[in-house]
Amino acid sequence: MNLVLAEQHDGILNRVSWEVISVAQQIDGPVKVLVAGQDVGSVAEELAQADVDEVIIIDDADLEPYTSDGHVQALAQAITSEKPEVVLFSHTYQARDFAPKLAARFDRALIADCIGAKSSNGTTVFVRPMFQGKFVADVVSEGSSPHFASFQIGVYRADEVKRVTTNVPIRTLNIKIDSTVIRQRPEPPFKEAKQAVDLTQAERIIAVGRGIKGEEHLALAQKLAKAFNAELAASRPICDAGWLPMDRQVGSSGQTVAPKLYLALGISGAIQHLIGMKGSHTIVAINKDADAPIFEVADYGIVGDLFEVVPELISALGNKVETR
Amino acid sequence: MLVVGGGPAGLSAALRLALRQKLEGEEQLSIAVLEKSREHGAHMLSGAVLDPSSLNELIPDWKQRGAPLETEVLSDHVYFLTKNRKFPFPITPPPLKNHGNYVISLNRFVKWLGEQVELEGVDVFNGFAGSELLFEDDRVVGVRTGDKGIGRDGQQKKTFEPGVDIYAKVTILADGVRGNLTKTLIRRCSLDEGCLPQVYAIGIKELWEVPQGRLAPGSVIHTMGYPLKFEEFGGGFIYALPEGRVAVGFVAGLEYRDPMFDPHIAFQKFKQHSFVSKLLADGQMIRYGAKALPEGGWHAVPRCYADGALIVGDAAGLLNSLRLKGIHLAMRSGLHAADVAFEAIRSGDFSVNQLHRYASLIMSGGIRKELYPVRNVHQSFARGLVAGLLYSGLALITRGWWIRDPMPTHAGHERVESVKKYYKRRESGPVAEEVKIDRALTFDKITNVHYSGTRHSEDQPSHLLVHDLDICRTRCLEEYQNPCIRFCPANVYEIIDATDGSGGKQLQVNSSNCVHCKTCDIMDPYQIIDWVPPEGGGGPHYEGM
Repeated sequence: MNLVLAEQHDGILNRVSWEVISVAQQIDGPVKVLVAGQDVGSVAEELAQADVDEVIIIDDADLEPYTSDGHVQALAQAITSEKPEVVLFSHTYQARDFAPKLAARFDRALIADCIGAKSSNGTTVFVRPMFQGKFVADVVSEGSSPHFASFQIGVYRADEVKRVTTNVPIRTLNIKIDSTVIRQRPEPPFKEAKQAVDLTQAERIIAVGRGIKGEEHLALAQKLAKAFNAELAASRPICDAGWLPMDRQVGSSGQTVAPKLYLALGISGAIQHLIGMKGSHTIVAINKDADAPIFEVADYGIVGDLFEVVPELISALGNKVETR
Repeated sequence: MLVVGGGPAGLSAALRLALRQKLEGEEQLSIAVLEKSREHGAHMLSGAVLDPSSLNELIPDWKQRGAPLETEVLSDHVYFLTKNRKFPFPITPPPLKNHGNYVISLNRFVKWLGEQVELEGVDVFNGFAGSELLFEDDRVVGVRTGDKGIGRDGQQKKTFEPGVDIYAKVTILADGVRGNLTKTLIRRCSLDEGCLPQVYAIGIKELWEVPQGRLAPGSVIHTMGYPLKFEEFGGGFIYALPEGRVAVGFVAGLEYRDPMFDPHIAFQKFKQHSFVSKLLADGQMIRYGAKALPEGGWHAVPRCYADGALIVGDAAGLLNSLRLKGIHLAMRSGLHAADVAFEAIRSGDFSVNQLHRYASLIMSGGIRKELYPVRNVHQSFARGLVAGLLYSGLALITRGWWIRDPMPTHAGHERVESVKKYYKRRESGPVAEEVKIDRALTFDKITNVHYSGTRHSEDQPSHLLVHDLDICRTRCLEEYQNPCIRFCPANVYEIIDATDGSGGKQLQVNSSNCVHCKTCDIMDPYQIIDWVPPEGGGGPHYEGM
């Protein structure tokens, strides 16, 4: 059985949990989804729309606020009683906090930040990048189950989850949490920088690079973004210059995104940028330089001057793009 | 006891201290190592061919302890390259004979050495840089670590953690080539009085995976000549590791005259030479790195002791530029420093009265024996390749004698000429060289940086302090055409259109690209760039290098 650990905050499901359910559906064996917290009933209802065998709830006041000690206690008991073959979860900050401890409790390795998984002769093979993404390695965990693996955000697509029309059963698992062994006393969470925009949630992204030449030309890209109902993003030099805020930067030092449409304007495609967007469903690139590496990942490429192409695009789009 | 820098020198010193403490008992020493990289060895970059002599002394049973020295040198070849051809040296020059040495990954070696140190109960604090020395009068009493959690605007973030003052009876400075603490100490105490200026080279290296069987593991190849001009010092190296891994790199003297010279371009041209490109064909570049090397030799080694402090390894400039080796000397200096510091603690006197014995050990303990006969070699290459080779040959017979000893030299940043002066006598104009970047054999700097695994917290002040940005857009642009954009192998320095709308240019410092090679600190002609450690943990990740 494959157990997916879903993540929630304050009763709101973290979208990336769907991506991991999608992984679990693609490997052999039944799938169960576990969500732990306090008052997580509505999250469980939402998860029960997925084509899985069942959704398991752990509801305990000691799980709120989140602590790694509390979480590991609860999850360890659930894993002991449910006996999954593999335990899958998204490589979120929270997972990075509790997962090593959880894996260590079972004396198992944690196969972290995977980009794929497949079944082969009854074992699950995990795929993870090595050497800054230069190679991918197939990793098989030795020893008996459970095996633990976390998945890179944005590699699998949340909308590819197989869903059912009637919700799957939800079961509450009773476990005991000893609150005296919870050592952490979390303070209210703070955000280091105000994240005005979460590009990872955007369905379409228009990204601008050095080819935009001047801050004054950003308006053109903004117009296109509006026509597409897309978010505006940028490569590093644009944010370094302060033309757009840092939270709109895509790439290895910015955000990793995988929208349905990624339109790159005047972006040459340095590898640091490609890493942040190559998982996008459809990539369109407009660049003057036919040798620009962005064309190596683009599904559609236009070699040309963006100042000629973009206005054409805007007028061609007109009001054709439905607004969602 | 505090050791700053977890490289071969610092870790050897820490291990020796712990072992002597164990053997000789008495007062319990508290020993700590500070290292700016996130984990053991992450900032280690070298060729590398290891002479195991110092390791044999420090850890005689290194084989049983699983030291990663699995590739013994099998063959040595030296070639002189012209643009299209290669000429083998008729005999391998004796200093380049590597029989009994090992081709290693310095990253893996130091990772292992760090584990040995920790096994002896020494605390190695990874992710903590020594940002400044603590003084009482002119006596070094410890080190202040860098603050963490300062934003790029200089303001404290919510994650702020102030640096810690660590006091020590003796501080061993192993902060590497052009170490920031060593630099301060040398200046403050005039430790380089009477010495030749230190001169440096930059080494750029890539780790490749090539089809197996191409080059037997343990093959060691050195080249001279192309693509360098006769006036320039340097050459290429190719070392074969097991499983088709090949270290390919290029060393260029940071004392070139041509302000338009770009070491990274020279490295690309070296790879494009048919001899090298055939070896790398169908292979994959998997790692990249760059680091400066101290080349000045014996006469440029400063006084390595001060009240409360000792300087070891590359920080002290202990590298044999004729044998192209420094790891064993770094380790040996670490052993000497540990011995002297240990005795000093026992005697209760940490002043130069005790610590000067370190200089005597350097004199008597093999380091001088190796460095003194080649004391003028690097300086002779400053007079061109032909002069350098002739002198090097002569030095082997005369044990280094020369009419003017030390052979005079200038610091690299003083040797670089203005564009006007350098190109006055030349037919071609000052054009920055370009090579075709195919992203298979040749790479641009920004792609290479990615493969160095470099990461810094983005929201922190630049750790490259440029003290006068006006010079960049005025004098430097005019006189040298901003050589920083060429000598930096990591695209840290960029000249962009001025943001003030003046139509001029300005310098942009992409400090998060920095691979900590120190070239800018060394080579900037106005000496207005200071490299200081970024927030601890930042920097390259030289896995397998």
